[in-house]
Amino acid sequence: MAVVVSSPYLPILIFFACGIAFAALSVLGLGVVGPKKYNSAKFVAYECGIQPSPRADQGGRVPVKFYTVAMLFIIFDIESVFLFPFAVAFDSLGLFALVEMVLFVLTVFVAYVYVWRRGGLDWD
Amino acid sequence: MSLVPTLSALSSLPAEAGVGGNPVADFSDTPLWLAAVKAVAIFVYLMLQVVLVIWFERRVIGRMQQRPGPNRFGPWGIGQTLADGFKLMWKETFVPKGADTFTFLLAPIIAGAVAFVGFAIIPVGGTVNLFGHMTPLQITDAPVAVLVVLAAAGVGAYGFVLAGWSSGSTYPLLGGLRSTAQVVSYEIAMGLSLVAVFLYAGSMSTSSIVAAQRDLWFVIPAFFSFAVYVICMVGETNRLPFDLAEGEGELVGGYHTEYSGMRFAMFFLGEYVNMFTVSALATTMFLGGPAAPPGIAAIGGGVLDQGWWGLLWFTIKMWVFMWFFVWLRGSLPRTRYDQFMRFGWKFLIPATLVWVLAVAFIRGAQLSYLGENTLLATVIVVLVVAVGALVAAWNWDERRARATESEPVPDEIDPFAGGFPVPPLPGQQLREPDGGVTAGGSGSGALASSASSTPTSIPALGTTKEAHRGGSDA
Amino acid sequence: MSPLALIGPPSATFTPSEVSYLSILPMLIVAGAALIGVLVEAFAPRAARFTAQFAVAMLGLLAAFAVIAMRAPAMIGVTLSGAVVVDGPALVFQGMVLLMGAAGLALMAERFGGRGPDAFTPSGSSVPGSQAEGLAERLGTTTEVFPLTMFALLGMMLFPASGDLLTMFVALEVLSMPLYVLTALARRRRLLSQEAALKYFLLGSFSSAFFLFGAALLYGYAGSLNLGEIGRAVGTVSGRGGLLAAGALLLFVGLLFKVGAVPFHSWTPDVYQGAPTPVTGFMAACTKVAAFGALLRLVYVGLAGSRWDWELVLWIVAGLTMVVGSVLSVSQTDIKRLLAYSSVAHAGFILVGLLAIDRAGIAAVTFYLASYGFATIAAFGIVLLVRARGSEATHISQWAGLGRRAPVLAAGMGLLLMGFAGIPLTSGFTAKFAVFAAAVAHAGAAGVVLTVIGVLSSAVTAYVYFRIVVLMFFSEPGGAPVDVLRPSAGGATAIGVGLLTTVVLGVFPAPLLALAASASQFLW
Repeated sequence: MAVVVSSPYLPILIFFACGIAFAALSVLGLGVVGPKKYNSAKFVAYECGIQPSPRADQGGRVPVKFYTVAMLFIIFDIESVFLFPFAVAFDSLGLFALVEMVLFVLTVFVAYVYVWRRGGLDWD
Repeated sequence: MSLVPTLSALSSLPAEAGVGGNPVADFSDTPLWLAAVKAVAIFVYLMLQVVLVIWFERRVIGRMQQRPGPNRFGPWGIGQTLADGFKLMWKETFVPKGADTFTFLLAPIIAGAVAFVGFAIIPVGGTVNLFGHMTPLQITDAPVAVLVVLAAAGVGAYGFVLAGWSSGSTYPLLGGLRSTAQVVSYEIAMGLSLVAVFLYAGSMSTSSIVAAQRDLWFVIPAFFSFAVYVICMVGETNRLPFDLAEGEGELVGGYHTEYSGMRFAMFFLGEYVNMFTVSALATTMFLGGPAAPPGIAAIGGGVLDQGWWGLLWFTIKMWVFMWFFVWLRGSLPRTRYDQFMRFGWKFLIPATLVWVLAVAFIRGAQLSYLGENTLLATVIVVLVVAVGALVAAWNWDERRARATESEPVPDEIDPFAGGFPVPPLPGQQLREPDGGVTAGGSGSGALASSASSTPTSIPALGTTKEAHRGGSDA
Repeated sequence: MSPLALIGPPSATFTPSEVSYLSILPMLIVAGAALIGVLVEAFAPRAARFTAQFAVAMLGLLAAFAVIAMRAPAMIGVTLSGAVVVDGPALVFQGMVLLMGAAGLALMAERFGGRGPDAFTPSGSSVPGSQAEGLAERLGTTTEVFPLTMFALLGMMLFPASGDLLTMFVALEVLSMPLYVLTALARRRRLLSQEAALKYFLLGSFSSAFFLFGAALLYGYAGSLNLGEIGRAVGTVSGRGGLLAAGALLLFVGLLFKVGAVPFHSWTPDVYQGAPTPVTGFMAACTKVAAFGALLRLVYVGLAGSRWDWELVLWIVAGLTMVVGSVLSVSQTDIKRLLAYSSVAHAGFILVGLLAIDRAGIAAVTFYLASYGFATIAAFGIVLLVRARGSEATHISQWAGLGRRAPVLAAGMGLLLMGFAGIPLTSGFTAKFAVFAAAVAHAGAAGVVLTVIGVLSSAVTAYVYFRIVVLMFFSEPGGAPVDVLRPSAGGATAIGVGLLTTVVLGVFPAPLLALAASASQFLW
């Protein structure tokens, strides 16, 4: 009898390894196939006539909206993280869990309504 | 499918649920080497389809636009993708001056490799005899299998944001940020829409979800989830009409502006593999996975609904979604970014949340949590929730309509009202500034009036802004 | 085999935890008021927002306190599967937090006739005096402070009532996050305020991480996060003492940071100075009450059995806190920083009482917190009233001759400072006597040493306070003229309560001492 897969996640790793091997070979390995002709203009960042804006890696800033989205994402992602096990175990949890989840969702909804009303979801 | 069997199937759902979350697929006869063989086989299966779908997309879009599309290389131009791939391989790859080299090279690897991962838990067929072992046509399954797909999608966002950040250039940075904001925004609605499926199936394992759909595909009881999922999967994969991260008109190429050759190809490949992954997930979650369509399943006592036949049905269902992607691209223009984000945050997320609660109540009614007369309770709950959701939706629609019509274009415009010159809209008259110097020529008069009206207009800026804010907020 | 054959009936049995709703009713009321506050902020018209917010918050606090005052004996019990323990000390601390929260809220609502709460900026990012600022001011968007305060109070109520370390951590975060935001909202000296908030946030996050790490180590030791279980494990589990000692010390880092004990006090002066003055008062009183409540429960319920492992460290911390707090307050020239160092010194005095590890210690700590909390809110309330050129006159030299310009206010401040110094017939004296007596009686030689250090430190702080009194009454006013504003009824009440408790608890301490002693039994 051959070795039976012990962990259900091991095959995922094998599959992932296939992907990494393929991508790494394409990105790093096949780079040597192409031509190499030096031209200084080639190495300049593409700007297309606009003012070069400050770069994030040099202390520049990006619009604060993106941070708002990041925070809201965390809030709602955590909400769905709570909803997943609730949904899976729903049949054995009974009415108690249903009521609890309604209360939880309503609480998050209050925050959501606040954000909406104060313009946190507007993109000009 | 008539209504009566549908309803009876709906009421029979509880009997099949409550599997405790464990996969029903039986991997006990699958040695590790066989799992590896299956992994490689699925990898090849995916790659072949990617090659095929790129050609397919160009041909179909060509037809939609009254032109033949690529038709030179091979029969019907089928080798076009191969030719493109070889062209990319022989292109020069380089790292721009301002780039962070390590991250710059890492980003395409992430984008290309992570896109595959989600497919590992998709059941592509029934249980078959492979090299003497009875094994499901699925690389693996786990009690939380669907989370693997969502997690892979989350990690995939790193590919975009790191590519944009490490390029050391403006357009890629903006494209990467947009792309990430977009992916995370739609991931929430996507995850929430799947909650309804988990509620019905009582499991997050893909094989259990497929098994739970034996009598009725979830596309019917979870129809709203299906609609939300389909919208989100387009947003999640950065495809038209939601490909804002690569909008050529605004951002050149978005996060991959600075990439060339195979490095660019990795993003390209990642996008298509992602399309297959989300389509496969949609098939598994809503369309019964590898199960045969209802009519065919009955033929010969289910002989067409098992083993290798599943691969055929699965592939067909998946390609229906792929065709939908292509159809969208051929039909719809790109949305505006603010419209896209507004739709995601202000409609999809709240509506899906309401829907999830509605499904929880329906399910609770089925399981008699809400009283004995479950059918009546179900109907009442469904009605209440549906009416509530409709009212909310109408309210939203009305608000939006008011917002769009609230600012009619005035006939006259004071070009300096905001403190800086604003050109008139088409059909608008320029209002002559009060107290402007009119004695001189028109050119000098405009100059003088601009100088004189600027200081007085500063308080006006405050009042207009206040009125605007007050109108939208009060 | 058909896949469906594997599907059986639901196997897992789930029993919802018992919830005694009466026990957690005060917390539910405060949480509900906070949520309503958020909705008010979202939907109420601008003109009505301030009134509505203040009314919702104040009514919530008073209702919650009324529940505790009327039904306290019936509320006692362990609920939510041991996550929340409502016992005598928890109820007393919750009651104190609620009353002090109400006083702090009254000061936050102080408007001096303006449109928005005066101490808070309507728009933190705009340049002071700019057009954007004027716009934001007309829109009046500072009423968020009320729901924020209510959320902080919710955390503060849960903190001393948490039965396990995880609940305690959640409470710690719930009380900390709103405070970080509130700290950043000062209308004047905005950069100072924002810098303080960032410092507080970063250091607070570090201390939370320490707390979490300590909780993990204690879980490794006892196999449970429940404080009662940990307390039982201390006597029985052997061979993992390293985990216990390290975990206990890391937990102390997290909690001592919140009370502002040396060497985790460095945020205190900056944050007290930078935060809007009413927030400083609220923070100084309520955070200290809540954190000492949690510290008491941790020490007395969870770790009392292992006192030999960590007692020495806490003795040193208590001694250092008293000495550093009092000595550094000598050189302060800013009244808010001075009160901050004074609060550090007070934290040291309270720690001495806590280290008695006896019911007398619990009662003494409770009494001290009650007398200090109301007084410090009143003191910061008075700081709020003394103005120069529209901003608070916090430099001590600006207080010179205040006794002539505003004799009542200066006399009030003088009384509060006497109380802080511990002059007989003020609450401070009784409080200090109680903690030192408990330490001498129950902590052995260490208690005596700490008491000597404490008395000496008190003498040093008394010098500092007397210097201000002398400055106020016996110096010529110099420099720019100082205005003294008249507080509104709410603000005056908050200050008045502080003055009243200073006198009443000094002259008739017996009722509160008796209450504290009768409610000093922890449940677990």
